[in-house]
Amino acid sequence: MRVALFITCLADQFYAEAGVAAVRLLRALGVEVDFPEGQTCCGQPAFNAGHWDEARPLAKRTLEVFEEAEYVVLPSGSCASMVKNHYPELLPGNREALAMAEKTYELSQFLVRVLGVEKLGEGLKGRKVAYHHGCHALRELGVREEPLLLLQNAGAEVLPWEAWEECCGFGGLFSVKLPEVSLAMADRKLATLPEAEVLTSTDAGCLLHLSGRMGKKGLGLRVAPLATLLWEAYAG
Amino acid sequence: MRAKAKLYPKEAARLLREKPGVREAVTGATLHFERNRLKAYAEVPIEEWRERAKAVKDHVLTHLDHYLELAERRLRENGVQVHWAETPEDAHRVLREVVHRRGVKRAVKAKSMLTEELGVNPLLESLGVEVYETDLGEYLIQLLGEPPSHIVGPAIHLSLGEIQKLFHARFGTPLDASPEALAQVARRVLREAFLSAELGLSGANFLVAETGTLALMENEGNIRLSTSLPKVHVAFVGIEKLLPRFADLALFLPLTARAATGQRLATFVSLIQGPAREGEEGPEEVHVVLVDHGRTALLHDLEAWETLRCLRCGACLNACPVYRQTGGHPYGYVYSGPIGAVLDPGLLTLEEAYPLPYASTLCGACYEACPVKIPIPRLLLTWRHRAAEEGLTPSWEHGAMRAFRKVMESPALYRLFSKGLRGLPLPQDLLPLLKAWTEGRGPLRPSPKPFHELWKEVADGR
Amino acid sequence: MDARTRILARVRRALRERPKALLPEHPHLLPKEDPLALFLDRLRENGAEGHLLDEEGARALLQGFPGAAFGRGVPEAFRLLPELPPEEAPLGVSWALFAVAETGSVALSGEDGRKAQLLPPTHLVLVEAKRVYGTLLEALQDLNGLPSALGLHSGPSKSADIGQVMVKGVHGPGRLIVAVLL
Ligand code: SF4
Repeated sequence: MRVALFITCLADQFYAEAGVAAVRLLRALGVEVDFPEGQTCCGQPAFNAGHWDEARPLAKRTLEVFEEAEYVVLPSGSCASMVKNHYPELLPGNREALAMAEKTYELSQFLVRVLGVEKLGEGLKGRKVAYHHGCHALRELGVREEPLLLLQNAGAEVLPWEAWEECCGFGGLFSVKLPEVSLAMADRKLATLPEAEVLTSTDAGCLLHLSGRMGKKGLGLRVAPLATLLWEAYAG
Repeated sequence: MRAKAKLYPKEAARLLREKPGVREAVTGATLHFERNRLKAYAEVPIEEWRERAKAVKDHVLTHLDHYLELAERRLRENGVQVHWAETPEDAHRVLREVVHRRGVKRAVKAKSMLTEELGVNPLLESLGVEVYETDLGEYLIQLLGEPPSHIVGPAIHLSLGEIQKLFHARFGTPLDASPEALAQVARRVLREAFLSAELGLSGANFLVAETGTLALMENEGNIRLSTSLPKVHVAFVGIEKLLPRFADLALFLPLTARAATGQRLATFVSLIQGPAREGEEGPEEVHVVLVDHGRTALLHDLEAWETLRCLRCGACLNACPVYRQTGGHPYGYVYSGPIGAVLDPGLLTLEEAYPLPYASTLCGACYEACPVKIPIPRLLLTWRHRAAEEGLTPSWEHGAMRAFRKVMESPALYRLFSKGLRGLPLPQDLLPLLKAWTEGRGPLRPSPKPFHELWKEVADGR
Repeated sequence: MDARTRILARVRRALRERPKALLPEHPHLLPKEDPLALFLDRLRENGAEGHLLDEEGARALLQGFPGAAFGRGVPEAFRLLPELPPEEAPLGVSWALFAVAETGSVALSGEDGRKAQLLPPTHLVLVEAKRVYGTLLEALQDLNGLPSALGLHSGPSKSADIGQVMVKGVHGPGRLIVAVLL
């Protein structure tokens, strides 16, 4: 099986380790991994802000970049949803858009639903994890159980967190258009954070936002993308 | 009501800065509503209910002319006087006539968002009528001269302390009076008003075409009283409020209650078929004002008409993490939260309301809560797209998006940008964004090397 | 052209060539197994008091009050207290058209008299056991000849508008007692 990794721009820039982890993990599971070099951004920031004319060329070129791929795997729930749910809306009648939507998966979704892997190893034994459900992974892709299953089966204790399904307040351009509201949302999220060793999520944007806010507030919790923890689950 | 939706970003920021108590009160109240809703949804086959409710509403809306005429006929047969209002002025004319003819000095009013749209209170006051809001929450904010901040709980932004202070100043109650004691004071004042008012005003949750039934839901009893004691009852009904069959209420009343407050049914439901009959207690005159005020335009809009399914249950407000930070006031119009963000641009104009569709992270919680499955996130995107097309968004934003697209369109530029993040100067247009980000979150800390540079190393198996 | 004509014309224009949505049928619900027991449970959960009584029992229940305002439909047998105007009475007594178990509701007709249903601080509603429906749908489908006003009461008047604290007896009766007559 051959997979093309779509690192997505935020992870590329801010959570490069997620890409490294995803590649290692997929290979370890017997999957060949490509990294199509022309890839940049899926266009989501412009699309979500209503600037569809700016988003469209980015969507089109992404379709070209991944045209040959058998599967496209992203360590990001919201970019996966952009491709799966919104490309067909943004490019109505475009068959490549439908084709790409079909073969695109968020990483944990790919592991559980396509590879049928539910246990990666025991590398997270006894680790206390706070899991933030990224909104698009959760509500647009329906990725709810997959990350939890993979974490728990690797021995992690996923701590109860009242606000774990609440939006963290990132929202792409939202975070800079309405910074005060965005920060208030992060604060609500952080105020209910359980006593964990590590905070994780499928989405780089959420983690960037939350970790930035945590830094500002002097909260010193490790923040790691899900891909990184899943690799640790495998490799110990 | 004058719309100030344009000021949303400033007002939201100001409220968070100046009145932090609002955030606390609203978060507490909405989380409470939300927990109750989730419990109430879990008790029934909710997906089936939502689908059915959506289908019934879509049916009504795609046959709206038929049902409007049927409802009008049935209402008339029931002895109700029917009026049509395209604009607030049309509605005002009806009220003016009633006030003059019946010599109205005092009116009791049941909470209704539509009357907020129409500016009913200011009109009545200008006619010298004393208007009493009789829903307890609505009464509180009337005393304070504030607009409602939530469709169902108009005063959820107020803390007990603020209400104690208000009643102390107004009625001389002690500053530590209990909620029970405060409610009793309000009960006394308003009971007097119910018994003496010549006019009762209400909205309606539903209007059943088959029987000409006005359906109203509440928990306090003030709606039953407002529509029972005064000699004249005037109900304002948006034309989208129709239901085809009387038995449809068996779905819509419990569904709305579950969505709004998590109850199986509102404590009081009024099903009104017309004025009191021979020898009965109740109003001598019942008027129904069928109101358009932007609704036909929305119906015409193929991408946005689904908002007309809205039951005004407030569930999307309770589910919305953005709304929870500020409550409804910064939205600057009658409808706030997710439904306000997609309804207000339709009822006002996009130009007046364009910031509202941006008051969301597109998290999708509203859609999961909505009892009639209004695709709010999709509608938010539609309005944003229109705002961008019409050039309503700030110019820096468009500039930034264009710069962003240019960078992302070319892998070479993207790699340059990547270097820029790690020390080289960045495109000017992106700088304001960077500043807005770092103020609350500290400096951006990119990975030492971007993944696309690491790929080579990983690919070689290192 | 008047507002009516213009509104209807705009509606028609909007709907021209619009695909029409079908009206779904009402669901076929299974009858509730023991509507009386469910009704009493739901009343309690709604903060109301429910009693299953014979005529004697209901009369005894009334005896505790010094006077009452009576709905027109209340049979003679239960009008055993001094009659007071609803504005002053400590108790309102009504005769319900029917009741609904699943929601814990009694249905009160405008014909019975609305003041007794709303003004006194306590409201006692009499309903015949055979008039208790399992579901709201059955009850509404069965109804013919609607009164000028039908009130569904499912508990005491309440509000949480003051600081999110639940308070009873705001405007309407703060106490609802339902006597289901066997
Ligand atoms: S949009 Fe849906 S959830 Fe929001 S108020 Fe309307 S019906 Fe309720």
